[in-house]
Amino acid sequence: GQEFRFGPCQVKGVMLRELQEAFWAVKDTVQAQDNITSVRLLQQEVLQNVSDAESCYLIYAMLKFYLNTVFKNYHNRTVEFRIMKSSSSLANNFIVIMSQLQPSQEDEMLSISESAHRRFLLFRGAFRQLDIEAALIKAFGELDILLAWMEKFYQ
Amino acid sequence: MKNVLQWNPPEGLQEAEVTYTVQYFIYGQKKWLNKSECRNIKRTYCDLSAETSDYEHQYYAKVKAVWGTNCSKWAETGRFYPFLETRIGPPEVVLTTDVKSISIVLTAPEKWRRNPEDSPVFIQQIYSNLKYNVTVYNTKSNRTWSQCVTNHTLVLTWLEPNTLYCVHVESFVPGPSRRAQPSEKQCVRTLKDQASEFKVK
Amino acid sequence: AGALAAPQNLSVHSTNLKHLLRWSPVVVPGGTVSYSVEYQGEYESLYASHIWIPSSRCSPAVGPECDVTDDITANVQYNLRVRATLGSQTSAWSTLEHPFHRNSTILTPPGLDVTKDGFHLVIELEDLGPQFEFLVFYWRRESGAKEQVKTVRRGGIPVHLETMEPGAPYCVKAQTFAKAIGRHSAFSQADCVEVQGEALPLAL
Repeated sequence: GQEFRFGPCQVKGVMLRELQEAFWAVKDTVQAQDNITSVRLLQQEVLQNVSDAESCYLIYAMLKFYLNTVFKNYHNRTVEFRIMKSSSSLANNFIVIMSQLQPSQEDEMLSISESAHRRFLLFRGAFRQLDIEAALIKAFGELDILLAWMEKFYQ
Repeated sequence: MKNVLQWNPPEGLQEAEVTYTVQYFIYGQKKWLNKSECRNIKRTYCDLSAETSDYEHQYYAKVKAVWGTNCSKWAETGRFYPFLETRIGPPEVVLTTDVKSISIVLTAPEKWRRNPEDSPVFIQQIYSNLKYNVTVYNTKSNRTWSQCVTNHTLVLTWLEPNTLYCVHVESFVPGPSRRAQPSEKQCVRTLKDQASEFKVK
Repeated sequence: AGALAAPQNLSVHSTNLKHLLRWSPVVVPGGTVSYSVEYQGEYESLYASHIWIPSSRCSPAVGPECDVTDDITANVQYNLRVRATLGSQTSAWSTLEHPFHRNSTILTPPGLDVTKDGFHLVIELEDLGPQFEFLVFYWRRESGAKEQVKTVRRGGIPVHLETMEPGAPYCVKAQTFAKAIGRHSAFSQADCVEVQGEALPLAL
């Protein structure tokens, strides 16, 4: 079957298609709520030319942020049924991915993990510059960018 | 990745002398940009392929109508993501027949090119998991069957001589919304089997 | 909670990743009882336990059954609950005793149709939707023949498997592969076809 390979980190039991379809069902609704089109949180500097070795650290940090900050707060703010359903499907699949990611903590990987962390800080920094409401909507609306990047590691 | 903005004329003005002006926007950047070839145009489409050729960016486009001294509000698209939303064109299909076989040679669809002289980028270089679904219809037995392949050549052997076979091929990339467009159906006849002809005489 | 009784005996029946939640009907003479179903994945129970999401297909449901397939979209434990409604009366929620995980689904061998078109071995498998692929094993029934295997990505369409040579039957069997949970079904019954030998061309 298909699986994610973020460098050394292997993830089974997730159908990328299910994630993409969950987001696609609400893409237009969510992105239409994002009026700050001059800001892109997942800028190219965050996701471009990420090495395999870096990818496990970066995806771990990104998913943790989405679970702890984006979905959690977004869940409370949305009563629109379709968005709740999509958000739930994405969040629960992110939990499955997170549970299988074990980024190495060894010293020789320090420079790589720091490089991934800098990329994550770029994303989080842009998120924190916005009002929380706008930031949540924008982060949720950019899940197509994150999922498209994850697709490169799906084999 | 040929990306064309299309729109309908305003209600009730289908026949009027209306002109349109288009602008586009790269998500995450600051300003709306003009598309000079689509300023005060009469047609209701505008090719934005050049402006949206970086398929990892996301874009918006908008258009407004002008007739006489009147000017409409801007009508704006949603956020357009070429990497996910482009439709995968069909491969080029070349068929060669023999008595009992048909060889099929596929050429991957190409990414839209700004200039014909630019070197081609094949869709497979963007979507490494590109696959082809080859569908074969035997007009004599009225049977259809298909085969999923990833490489570019396929030989159908042990076919029936002097029989018309129709073939069409669809390239597809697994993903939620990447619609695919099958190739035109091509029909070829396998050659006559001279040996069995001789036998009959 | 109104005086209306809550539904009882909740259970999930899952086959080929199609999940049906069932319960004992609440019977009110002369009344038509409807039901609401809600679900909660591991994320909701960990991060937002107050949040329950209405089921896509059963809010409300008329009969004592709800297809929750479209709600169960991840490999995590799901809590499910049902309540009854009769006019303005609403019962308490009844929650499934043990959370449901789609890994427990029953996988059945796929329907398999083996035919030929001239020398071509053509099969058609049961269409079980995009969640499934099929592993197809085929061999020439003669001593020493090796078993071949092919992955077929979709059911419901005739697929070319092999070009056959006359002289021995070709046999085929298949199993489903549920991609989301990485499990196989048992094999289908093997089925065989044979190509009749071709007369040799007259030697000159």
